Amino acid sequence: MSQNKTAGAVAKRHMGLKTSRRIGNTAIYILLIAMSVIWLVPFICILLQSFRVESTWQVGYVVPQKWGLDNYQNLFKTDFPRWYTNTFIAALCTAVLQTVIVLCMSYTLSRFRFKMRQPLMRFMLILGMFPGMLTMIILYRVLKDLGMTQANAVPGLILVYVASSGMGYYVSKGFFDTIPKSLDEAARVDGATRLQVLYKIILPLSKPIVIYTILTAFMGPWGDFVFARYISFGASAGKNVAVGLYDWLSKDQINKSYTMFCAGGVLVAIPVTILFMCLQKYYVEGVTGGAVKG
Amino acid sequence: MASVKLTDVKKVYDNNVTAVHDFNLDIKDKEFVVFVGPSGCGKSTTLRMIAGLEDISGGTVEIDGVVVNDLQPKDRDIAMVFQNYALYPHMTVYDNIAFSLRLKKMPEEEIYERVTNAAEILGITQYLTRKPRALSGGQRQRVAIGRAMVRNAKVFLMDEPLSNLDAKLRNQMRAEIILLRQKLDTTFVYVTHDQTEAMTLGDRIVIMRDGFIEQVGTPTEVFEQPHNIFVAEFIGAPKMNMMETRLSREGAKYFVSPFGVKIEVDGEKARQLAEKNISDREVVLGVRPEHIVLSEAGAPGAIPCRLEVNEMMGSELHLHVYTENETRLVVRIPTIDLTEEQRRNMVYGAQLYITFSGKVMHFFDKENQKNLIYS
Amino acid sequence: MANISDLEYLRLSKGQKLLFRLKRFFTDSLPNGLKNFFVRIGKGIGSGCQKIGSECKDIVSTFVHGDWKTKLSYLVMGFGCLARGQILRGILFLLFEIVFIGYMILAGGYWLSMLPSLGKVGPTETYNELFDTYTTTYNDNSFKILLYGVLTIFFIIAFIYTWRQNVKQNQIAEKILASGKKLRSGKEDLHSLVDDQFHKTLLALPMTGILIFTVLPIIFMVLVAFTNYDGAHDGYASNLFTWVGLKNFNTMLSWNSAGGTQSYAATFGEVLTWTLIWAFFATFTNYFLGMFVAMAINKKGIKVKKLWRTILVLTIAIPQFISLLYVSKMFAKDGIINGTLLSLGWIKQALPFWEDPTWARITVIIINIWIGIPYLMLITTGILMNIPADLYESARIDGANPWQQYTKITLPYMLFVTGPYLLTSFTGNMNNFNVIYLLTGGAPTNAAASSAAGSVGYTDLLITWLFKITTGAESQYYLASVVGILVFIVVALISLIVYNVLPSIKNEEDFQ
Repeated sequence: MSQNKTAGAVAKRHMGLKTSRRIGNTAIYILLIAMSVIWLVPFICILLQSFRVESTWQVGYVVPQKWGLDNYQNLFKTDFPRWYTNTFIAALCTAVLQTVIVLCMSYTLSRFRFKMRQPLMRFMLILGMFPGMLTMIILYRVLKDLGMTQANAVPGLILVYVASSGMGYYVSKGFFDTIPKSLDEAARVDGATRLQVLYKIILPLSKPIVIYTILTAFMGPWGDFVFARYISFGASAGKNVAVGLYDWLSKDQINKSYTMFCAGGVLVAIPVTILFMCLQKYYVEGVTGGAVKG
Repeated sequence: MASVKLTDVKKVYDNNVTAVHDFNLDIKDKEFVVFVGPSGCGKSTTLRMIAGLEDISGGTVEIDGVVVNDLQPKDRDIAMVFQNYALYPHMTVYDNIAFSLRLKKMPEEEIYERVTNAAEILGITQYLTRKPRALSGGQRQRVAIGRAMVRNAKVFLMDEPLSNLDAKLRNQMRAEIILLRQKLDTTFVYVTHDQTEAMTLGDRIVIMRDGFIEQVGTPTEVFEQPHNIFVAEFIGAPKMNMMETRLSREGAKYFVSPFGVKIEVDGEKARQLAEKNISDREVVLGVRPEHIVLSEAGAPGAIPCRLEVNEMMGSELHLHVYTENETRLVVRIPTIDLTEEQRRNMVYGAQLYITFSGKVMHFFDKENQKNLIYS
Repeated sequence: MANISDLEYLRLSKGQKLLFRLKRFFTDSLPNGLKNFFVRIGKGIGSGCQKIGSECKDIVSTFVHGDWKTKLSYLVMGFGCLARGQILRGILFLLFEIVFIGYMILAGGYWLSMLPSLGKVGPTETYNELFDTYTTTYNDNSFKILLYGVLTIFFIIAFIYTWRQNVKQNQIAEKILASGKKLRSGKEDLHSLVDDQFHKTLLALPMTGILIFTVLPIIFMVLVAFTNYDGAHDGYASNLFTWVGLKNFNTMLSWNSAGGTQSYAATFGEVLTWTLIWAFFATFTNYFLGMFVAMAINKKGIKVKKLWRTILVLTIAIPQFISLLYVSKMFAKDGIINGTLLSLGWIKQALPFWEDPTWARITVIIINIWIGIPYLMLITTGILMNIPADLYESARIDGANPWQQYTKITLPYMLFVTGPYLLTSFTGNMNNFNVIYLLTGGAPTNAAASSAAGSVGYTDLLITWLFKITTGAESQYYLASVVGILVFIVVALISLIVYNVLPSIKNEEDFQ
């Protein structure tokens, strides 16, 4: 009985192997196409609406009735260029400084075995459980005393982004852990100091993770909302794009700035997206490696 | 070219596990010493302490009379070959070999001279511009050796350099290391878990277990005069057969009676036993597989047994046999000594008779496992 | 519970096995895990005390057995080093001592003395008859007192540590000299900073940053929870603030609803419940759907894999605030979604995506899926490809269908590898400020809870509530700080349980 059943199932499977796979694949194609549409629609909408000139508020249709570049031109009459510059400078400085700090931290924790290593890592794990936002209250006042807030928010912002970035060492430590330790040892026996090991052996081998770190550090400030909002509080000249554009969607401004928001969003998204797409390979490597090693 | 002296060297890890206990060894100038033992015996740890890659928890390591405990590896003037080669993947073979010389700020012409010279000796000249990725295992091994060679270091350390190679290549490289050693004429410390490598390469062999030295001696010494059961079983393949039996003394003569067959201990062995004034006792009797010979029913000292497995190795047969009390013995017989018919009859369950002479026995104390004669 | 052997366990039926494991989890793993944790803490404290004791003993014995250079070093730091020729070390020690003493006399003493009161004299107004104006004189500054007080304590601890090192140096130097070796020169010291002490050099900058910009502020904010620091007591311009003990915790955790409004504890409970629900759904919907999409794209026979992946990855590239803000407006009452649906005639009136609490909560979870799938698709793709193909081949030969292959091979493997990631992702979602704040800003407002503190909405997480409290009209920093501490406790508790319990479960599906 059971033998018959098995034999029948085998026959069925054999006959249906190709067709069932074809049906399955078609279903997957339909799903993927549907997903692509859902994922792309918002971006297409934002692009289309940035060219809408017949009205500046939110409307229930997608395709503009009248096309034009007015929204882009209007952007330059606002503080938008200033915000853009602020964000760009912050992103650039953060990318450089944060990368240095993260690499120092992760290289050390991956390669050196010192007494305080384990306690240090545990300590940082616990620190990470505190909501970081809370620290903004005090940092804001301290930075204000130092004159690094409001219109001068950019240096303050960079400081805040960079200072604690050592805590985000996980991903790159995971990468360094995969470089065999015997390479370090061979180099040390060959007569290299620890510093020489770092820049002659490890760094040349770490291109993917260096690029990943730079990329994520560069992208961070473009999306930061909380810290930028705190530090630039009340001064338009100190805002970054996220805070500036957010305010355009507030209740009293949305009707005159909605399409301008779309135009601004497009201008922000284009360079970041292009950069990201070019370096996608490294990003994927970093993300995958980092998740596995926790 | 230098001597290495280890005095009471100890390694204790943070979790209080002791990897190496009071290690004492004098390595003479230009000597080739091999540390051998099963994995986890502390041989690599000891080597790494000599290299400075591992902190020394106690005792002193001296190279050429200078205590190097607190020196960084780069200041110890040593060269090392690693198990997984540890070639720098982003550098060409030439740059790999030249790396240490460049760190010393040696002029480029001299570097060129030395690197090409080493490459010549190792036969890797045509690969100098390649990256390690494009090389085979054996070639990578040569590059790793070349990298260590060019430094003219005082001590040459090798950490299981052949264990990542396949069997055939391993034999070939082993022979090359012997040649290399003659060319370099420097002090070698070599770590391996393979007793064949140890026997063929070493001037002296250090056999280790669980962080302790079990025996230090020349290959002949450790083979012929193992200090204890561990060394006896570790050195030689297939390993030595062990049988529990009683050693009895009758005047100047000694007898053993494995499996109820009385065999006289004769010649040198009996004299040595008498010299040590050893009386009747239970012992572990050790006989190497190659010292057991086939015998016939009724012959003096013939032990009846049944054949279990017959391994044809080409030039010799390894016979796994069971005695009547189910003790498993391995017998090694040169193929050439057997007739065609004898070989045909060597099948599962065949009845065999074996024996061994009284000259090739090893006697170990049943309690402390030590050799009654040599320790 | 009776212990059963492994073999007996194997004979149980499926249901019994599950029951057994559940039972064991609650009677064995969980209590033991927690017990071990507390035992470890206890041991840690014990060994800490022991260490301090032995350090003290060591300090005394070094003094008794040391020579005069050592003895003088107890008072003049670095003297021993200077006298023994280690000029660089000696100067650094001495300099540190001078700076410390100078600071303590000039400023540190003041801050420390003010710390218990957080300032005595607030701002005073004096009437100027001549100009008929009030001039305000600012006196003590509670904020600075608290900040610099904490800093001074940091400094004192650093000094004690350095002093101890100074003593140790003498002991070590004596030993080295006694054994006839030479001491390290300043040049060698400097050189060691790029060699055997290189890790200290590398860590110096990152750790300083963390210390000043994370540790110090966190300590400060924890202390704020025990004060009445808020907009009306900013410690300088308006009123001083001062210590109030556990009062704020009492307020936050009391069930007393004053004047008909909801109590803080009830509000906190509501927000916490939603935070946990949100974190659970946000983590697991993304995880499973992301894995599903990754598997769909990876499936044999699917073409242009790279295109599908790139389309999804595009959403990671575009800064989140743009996509979130825009999508949030798409779902608004007058947004594109409602507009399109209305014009198609599918609905009669606009759907209350952001107006109805339940709609809003479901909508944020769904939009979060949209945000999260690409990211998880990337992560899981990498791991899925790492699953050895022969596992599947062997399962197919054993007769497993695709669903069985998924539940018996893929899923256990994935859960094993991504276990730690799931935990961080869960706690990360609990604190996912951006998604909630940019999508809804916490709306719709919870009228009953709002009067408690800030304006709480139905989609507010603890973290967005915290943000609202600090930026709200009253700026109740002390309450924000209490909420922050509670968030920490919740996150730490979850992590603790998972870390202590997970491995025992995980071992049964060990893939290593």
